[in-house]
Amino acid sequence: MAVPIFTFSLNQKLLPGRVTIGKYDGTHSCLTAATTADKVLVHSPHRHLGLAVGRVVPSDTNKELALLNINQSVLSVCAGNLNVAEERDVLVVGTPTNLLAYDVENNTDIFYEEAGCISAVVTIGKLGSLPNPLAIAGGNCSLQGFDYKGNDPFWTVTGDNVCSLALMDFDHDGENELIVGSEDFEIRVFKEDNIINEQTETETVTTLAALGSSKFGYGLANGTVGIYEKLQRLWRVKSKNRAVSVYGYDLNGDGVEELITGWSNGKIDARSSRTGEVIFKDNLNHSIAGIVEGDYRLSGKNDLICCSVEGEVRGYNLSRQVTMRSSISAGSVTVETDAIRDLFTKKQALLLELRNYEGNNQFSEISAGDMGQQLAAANQHVGIIPAQTRLQTGVAINMGTEQKPPHVEISLSTNNETVIAAVMVFAEGIFEGETHVLHPKPSEVSSRLDVALYPPRDVPVDIHIKIAMWINQNFLLLTDYEVEGDLNTTFLSLRDNVEVTLSMDSNGQMSVITHNMALAGDIIQSLATFLNLQELQVVTANFPEEQEKIGELLKNISALQDVRLRLGAEMADHSGLIRSLVVRAEDARLLDDMKSMRKWYLELNDVNTDLIRGYNIRCKNHQELLDALKQLNVIIQKAAQLRVGKYKTSVVNLCRIALKNNNLNSLVKILKTGEA
Amino acid sequence: MDPFYAALSFYRRLKYEECAAVCTELLEKSPYDQAVWTLKMKAVTEQVYVDDIEAEEEGIAEALMDNDTMAQVARPGTSLRTPSTEKGGPNQGLRPRTQTGRPLSGVVRPATQSGRPGTMEQALRTPRTARTARPVTSQSARSVRLGTASMLTESGGPFIQLSRLNLGKYAAQGNIAKPLFEYIFYHENDIRHAMELAVQATQACQFKDWWWKVQLGKCYFTLGLIRDAEQQFRSALKQNQKVEIFLRLARVYIRLDQPLSALDVCKTGLEYFPGEVTLTTEIARLFEGLNNIPTSIKYYRDVLKEDSTHVEAIACIGMQHFYTDQPEISLRFYRRLLQMGIYNAELFNNLGLCCFYAQQYDMTLTCFEQALSLASEEAVADVWYNIAHVAIGVGDCNLAMQCLRLCLSADSNHASAYNNLGMLEMRLGHRDQARAFFQAAGSLAPYLFEPHHNYAKLAEEMGDLQTSYIVIQKALQAYPSHVSSQELLQKLQKHFAFM
Repeated sequence: MAVPIFTFSLNQKLLPGRVTIGKYDGTHSCLTAATTADKVLVHSPHRHLGLAVGRVVPSDTNKELALLNINQSVLSVCAGNLNVAEERDVLVVGTPTNLLAYDVENNTDIFYEEAGCISAVVTIGKLGSLPNPLAIAGGNCSLQGFDYKGNDPFWTVTGDNVCSLALMDFDHDGENELIVGSEDFEIRVFKEDNIINEQTETETVTTLAALGSSKFGYGLANGTVGIYEKLQRLWRVKSKNRAVSVYGYDLNGDGVEELITGWSNGKIDARSSRTGEVIFKDNLNHSIAGIVEGDYRLSGKNDLICCSVEGEVRGYNLSRQVTMRSSISAGSVTVETDAIRDLFTKKQALLLELRNYEGNNQFSEISAGDMGQQLAAANQHVGIIPAQTRLQTGVAINMGTEQKPPHVEISLSTNNETVIAAVMVFAEGIFEGETHVLHPKPSEVSSRLDVALYPPRDVPVDIHIKIAMWINQNFLLLTDYEVEGDLNTTFLSLRDNVEVTLSMDSNGQMSVITHNMALAGDIIQSLATFLNLQELQVVTANFPEEQEKIGELLKNISALQDVRLRLGAEMADHSGLIRSLVVRAEDARLLDDMKSMRKWYLELNDVNTDLIRGYNIRCKNHQELLDALKQLNVIIQKAAQLRVGKYKTSVVNLCRIALKNNNLNSLVKILKTGEA
Repeated sequence: MDPFYAALSFYRRLKYEECAAVCTELLEKSPYDQAVWTLKMKAVTEQVYVDDIEAEEEGIAEALMDNDTMAQVARPGTSLRTPSTEKGGPNQGLRPRTQTGRPLSGVVRPATQSGRPGTMEQALRTPRTARTARPVTSQSARSVRLGTASMLTESGGPFIQLSRLNLGKYAAQGNIAKPLFEYIFYHENDIRHAMELAVQATQACQFKDWWWKVQLGKCYFTLGLIRDAEQQFRSALKQNQKVEIFLRLARVYIRLDQPLSALDVCKTGLEYFPGEVTLTTEIARLFEGLNNIPTSIKYYRDVLKEDSTHVEAIACIGMQHFYTDQPEISLRFYRRLLQMGIYNAELFNNLGLCCFYAQQYDMTLTCFEQALSLASEEAVADVWYNIAHVAIGVGDCNLAMQCLRLCLSADSNHASAYNNLGMLEMRLGHRDQARAFFQAAGSLAPYLFEPHHNYAKLAEEMGDLQTSYIVIQKALQAYPSHVSSQELLQKLQKHFAFM
């Protein structure tokens, strides 16, 4: 099908996931990627010479490769139009501490902002009803959007570190929504500050791509790629390799974008967005660094461009003939093949079953006349399960004993003497990975087995909440009949054995008593969904522990920042010293004064050791600072979870203002009452 | 008279040494008198105070080892390092260039002459000529040259022991903190302590004082933390617009090699302070750096409209007229400088040249005589070099050769003099000597195209085509659009192809 129409090498090692393309002068596309040496490479083959259309000739002089020094590790790059007044693209680079918007054409900074925390991912585009396009940076539990003046009209918090971002019109209202994939396996859809949708996946969501008509593709850290259309997952596939980048591009010219996936083993494939069927694949020699789309041959059409980590670049597009053929095949043929494939799998399953029965029969014939007990024993050896065996399962909550922490228990038992030698539980999101295999010791093999599950994540809370909701439902019915009933129910959270008390008095006031803020938030959220509440303001939320913690955190953060500043100055001072020592030593070398050269270099060595020590301290300090900031964001997010609708966003915004002013009291008050 | 009043009076009359002496006496009697202490700090600081915006210079270490610039190969015309090809200005053949490939400037400023060295060796060898002494690092820039006060031994130990100072205590006291900062920054040149004080002081006033932000930015800039400096200046500008902050921010962008951003900053500054001379001058300098001489001259003219005694503007415009073949007008500008009371060898030298090219021969030699009598060691070579020009102009080759030899005796690294001497020797038919001179000139100043071109011509005449071919390429590297060199190269290429 699609054939590579051009291929060349940049001769630079690229970082995976950090590739973009921009029209910095307004007309010519320039491939831009982060290299391993903390630099950003801009490849502009059309800058100097008017090349013949249809050919991209990599030059030997390397003049078309411009390197930008960033001097910090580059976490993300994105090119896009930030200033509506100008028809040129701007390069936005995210580093561990800053976000830099740079005008490549004019060699000027547009803004250089401290993004508060890591800008792990950046995307550019219009968001919601905001008038200017924003450069949205996601990182340490927060999302921040900057316009071309460097102001940040958009700021919100999410549940965990952001790993991927995409902008698309999710609900067909003509305005873009932000899709955020994060480390807590969630894909959230933000409509400005509000979360309008949330999907839980099975792994960290590493990459997202918007496809047309409210579809978006995603890739997970465990090698799964798939497509959602609105709330519904259309398909997904799993591979042992990791999807580095997903991208939506209409490769076969049928008007529907295909999901192009670049894998860590160098494979590129295009899958139909409806069925997930592979319609095209190719292999590069090294892991894919990124997939972009741009007019690289000045032909007026956008080509698909894939880059590998070794700097190999390949461009694809599709000739017209192939387009015709594929559009035919997209119609009737796919339906037939689908049907055939389905039938084939069914046939396989049936054959397998049949064989099983046959084996059983055979065995029964052989051992006819023997006692049932012997049969079972024999069964054990031969490994045949009698046909009428039934497996009984039950789910229970075990509060745990002294040896065992509380857990959810699944008990399995068979209705005859067949023993369970191994259990394989297949589920998502409950374990790390997808399957949980349990082998009892041979001596303990019996026909009954309890599987203890320790869900690492929110699942127990979910189960719990379902019960709570059920009681609420019952209770609401109850209040309809007898108005004067006070509800008082106490649950025990499985997660940390904290009591949760739900109570409701006659005038409709409800109180949730728990020490766990996140749990309370979840209860309130699910309650709101259940009762269909659009807006809910919690009158008082009193979490003394969290408040104490937030005070401590703030104190910690300011102390850490002080230390950081001092360390920074010290390091700068040292590096100044190092510079002058190097120059002096070189000077001595040029004068053939070996004695003083030796002296300078010895001194240099000492200062250098000091510097490295200082650097290690600084690294640790930075890590602590990041952790503290993350915890702070998480607390704000939990506090926001306690409210619904506009109150939720207002809590986030107020918290932010309080943080900016470093006002601890107002922050605590906001967390408590939701108002400043 | 009350001795403290006397000290204040000395301070106001700019008699800082006397003021400091009186303060020292007072402090011996009452060591805890903060008023006296502060006054002494101020007096001592004023003694060594320099305009650090004007004197700012990038050190060797920074130039070589720092990569503050974003783009390594920026589009021509957007970077000070890759100057654009001329835009209607005089070409290289008419106006000589400095090492950086930029036309000579009308005045010598820090970093107008020394270029960006390619290697450490080059960087270290160039300033060996003493006149282009570059500081090792920018932190040591001023201190080395002016001999920082902290280096001088003081009787009875230093005035303030910085390591024993409780910075936190003074940071909270605004009226003491500011003079103390200036003392530490300018007098002691201890940037780290100054910065610590500034950090604590901004916190003490809850980030509401723009002055501290500027000082913090200054500290960051000196330490080489350019981006942090930028942030401080920007935040200070939000609170209060001052010319100084605009200038410092522009300097930050110049260090980052983003001249267009720097221009932007200066122009924003001009919106707040229309017609501000320092800002306009900065813009003119930036355009000069970008090789856009006509625009630069336009801004210098704007400067002159506001301040008709601005030496830099007059000199630059005069220079531009001289190199665009209007020596008469140039003469008027230089005479204006003379009227203003500038009386040095450089000016008389320029006047002499202008007179010569404006055909006022009677004045020429007197000007040069005056220049020679005023010239210092360094300038005398240039004066002799220019006299040689006059001699060549009147056809007196012997005089010219003698002048050039005098020039070389004063400055044995004068590349242009070697070149001209070579030319004269060639006319006399001494080809081997001429070749030696050209080679010397070429190795001393690879950025000049003339020695390479002349050497190539000579080599071609002598039949050494291979050398000619190599050397002419060097000439074209220095000046790509030089027609004569191009022709020679084509001729040689044709010749080689024919063989």
